[in-house]
Amino acid sequence: MIEEFIRDALRWTDVSIFAYFVALNSSYLVLIVLAGLEFYRHLRRIPFAGADDMFRSPLTLPVSVIVPAYNEGPGIVAAVQAMTALRYPRYEIVVVDDGSSDDTFEQLRARFDLVEVPRVVPADVAYTSEVLSVHVARANPETLTVVRKTNGGKADALNVGINLARHPLICMVDADSVLDPDALLSVAKPFGDDPLRVAACGGVVRIANGCKVIGGRVVDVRMPKQWLVRIQVVEYLRAFLMGRTGWSRLGGLVVISGAFGVFRRDLVVRVGGMDEDTIGEDAELVVRLHHHLRETKEDYRVIFVAEPVSWSEAPSSLAVLGRQRRRWHRGIAEILSKHRRMILNPRYGRIGLVALPYYVVFELLAPFVELSALVLLPLGLWVDAVNLEFAWRFVLVAYGYGLLVSLAALFIEEVSFHRYPRWGDLARGMTAAILENFGYRQILAVWQVKGAFGAWHGRKAVWGTMDRTGFDTPDEPESDLVGAGSVHRRG
Amino acid sequence: MLELFTLAIEVLTAVVVLTAAGIVVVRLYRRFKHRKQARLAAGPRRSLLAFVADNGEEGSHDLVAIPEDAWRAAEPHALALLGKLRGEAHMGLVSVFLRRGTARTALGQLRSHSRVKRARAAQVLGDLELRQAVPELCRLLTDRHAEVRVVAVRALGRIGDPAAAWRIIASLDRSDPIPSLLASHTLVQLGAEAEVTLSAALDHPQARVRAVCLDALGLLGATASVTRIARILKEDAHLDVRVAAANALGKLGTRSAIDPLSLALHSSRPAALRAASAKALGDIGAPSAVPVLEKLLDDGAFHVAHEAAHALRRIGPAGLAALTGRGSNGHALEALALAQVMREEKTAVPA
Repeated sequence: MIEEFIRDALRWTDVSIFAYFVALNSSYLVLIVLAGLEFYRHLRRIPFAGADDMFRSPLTLPVSVIVPAYNEGPGIVAAVQAMTALRYPRYEIVVVDDGSSDDTFEQLRARFDLVEVPRVVPADVAYTSEVLSVHVARANPETLTVVRKTNGGKADALNVGINLARHPLICMVDADSVLDPDALLSVAKPFGDDPLRVAACGGVVRIANGCKVIGGRVVDVRMPKQWLVRIQVVEYLRAFLMGRTGWSRLGGLVVISGAFGVFRRDLVVRVGGMDEDTIGEDAELVVRLHHHLRETKEDYRVIFVAEPVSWSEAPSSLAVLGRQRRRWHRGIAEILSKHRRMILNPRYGRIGLVALPYYVVFELLAPFVELSALVLLPLGLWVDAVNLEFAWRFVLVAYGYGLLVSLAALFIEEVSFHRYPRWGDLARGMTAAILENFGYRQILAVWQVKGAFGAWHGRKAVWGTMDRTGFDTPDEPESDLVGAGSVHRRG
Repeated sequence: MLELFTLAIEVLTAVVVLTAAGIVVVRLYRRFKHRKQARLAAGPRRSLLAFVADNGEEGSHDLVAIPEDAWRAAEPHALALLGKLRGEAHMGLVSVFLRRGTARTALGQLRSHSRVKRARAAQVLGDLELRQAVPELCRLLTDRHAEVRVVAVRALGRIGDPAAAWRIIASLDRSDPIPSLLASHTLVQLGAEAEVTLSAALDHPQARVRAVCLDALGLLGATASVTRIARILKEDAHLDVRVAAANALGKLGTRSAIDPLSLALHSSRPAALRAASAKALGDIGAPSAVPVLEKLLDDGAFHVAHEAAHALRRIGPAGLAALTGRGSNGHALEALALAQVMREEKTAVPA
């Protein structure tokens, strides 16, 4: 009797897990279709987007680019160089060195001839660390500022940067990011087009590993050499480019990556800056903005632009990837816990009723369901709750649907931006979409579950470090550089 | 149940294979199309460059005679070139576009049902700087789609006909107005002839309109409007408008603006206004404002003290002397250090 009950329970659990996978992948597919529609809309409007007018206008809103840096020695100079070459009429760069123990600051001092200056740091938003010194570039004292402070975490570094920012828009950029020349212009443009409503705008982050970077600019887009990173390229396309564009179209965007996002400074100050107690401070800020602006009944928009992009170095080892994904999932768990009163609360509109519940069901819980399936399906087989015929079909449909979603993302990418021009890279992308299902997704689920437990058990969060190799491509023969000049770009 | 799964696997396999094949087909199609376009555009592009190199004097007939499909392939390049050219070459290329009927087509498309077509047409007419299109573009300022209105305003700015000023100002007075900064920039592009209209609009009941006109007057250097702007700085009911007035006076840089700006520094005024007025006095660079700015260095509002210190720095020797006298003040030290860095950089750069 008990055995029969267990068998029934296992059978229905397996069927429920299957239904969950179908719903999860269907939701991804819907977001990808929405993203496709958005890209079509975007591409049709490029001829009259007015980027050149914005660049030439003396009234374009100036931007403070804030770059928190912690042990970023290998790549910091290339990243800042790229930022100084951005196509934007008026902006400043504020690098906040958060107590690095490597040569981050020395690299900057040597390259940009930094000179120490006294500076009064306003307390518009709270920060807990101590500002040790402020430096400016001798050649461009009003364009590049470098702050040295005691270690306090990324959110604290951003808060110091927000305080020092002089312009009405702030752009948060990771120190390992390389921005396309027009990236800032594109992400700040919505603020000029709809200044009364746009509160924040996120930009796309793509993976720079394998790309040729010269002088702080990605000049040739290639697939990375390691399969681990190639899989992440597909994952970034599906989840970040397509997923966030889809949510933006639905008016439910709750995540803007800390690697590249622009915010109205006055609003960020009004909500108190970055939350130092949350490890996913970038997404938390967006949710808090939604929270505040919905409560004050303001008409606002949080949007996402798909192009141009910020390029970032992705983890190339399992250890670093594991740390990153634990941190990300912990961030989701913390944010959803902190803002739980918004969930299913009609007061917060589609954020409360659609976006956050989706994040609970299909983001936070997904790794738990995935791991449950990995345990319960073999268990069901063992106790004869399900037969082998059912099991292999179950696995094939669940993972096959996942593969279809990834291929759909690659298809939309090919139709719209086609950033990977080589046939070999296309084949590698499609292969990575298949390989993702064999081990990668499963180990990811383990890390994510650990991350969520870390949040729920209140363990101390730390700013994750990554062993960076830096971007600057070593000197290459002239012919290679000439080849780099013929980079494939969308016409 | 098993049959259902089997069917799902078959359908999934088919869709996965079709999607993968679709990716390959899309890439092949794009490459084919790209090559064809490049081949078609090659000749016209050479003719365009030769035409521009001759300053638009020779070769216009060749450009007009280019077959339609080849011209379509080269048109984005030609339009981009149009934005970079000035003088004779620009007029010559515009004349080619007109003879090819581009303007006529664009004027017709301004009434298209598709908002994308309307916006594209407005963009083309702006690129061509076609004055005859101004009435039609002004009509688009009331288009039901914001993106079309925005493109129409930009086109009007490029054409630069001051007759459009009042229509642009009127388009600000609606529930879903064109962006203020875009309107200001466009009004500036209309040139000095628009000053009279802008000055008259300073009495407009809508605060947004007054602020936009103030920004534009400041950038236009409309010194004849200083008295009216000073009155707004003193009397307007909206803080944003008064701040815009202070900014405009700073840009105009006339002596007569110093007194009203100094009065706006009084502690009873809002901090945002005092900070903007201090900055404006720095922009003017008036040594007579040094005493009043020096007093603000101890102001409790960060931005007021900060702007006052940097205004003193920009004023020059008199302001720097005042800052040096306040050696222990953080804002003064900050401004002095920046002045020092800038001075060193100037002396380091050979003349």
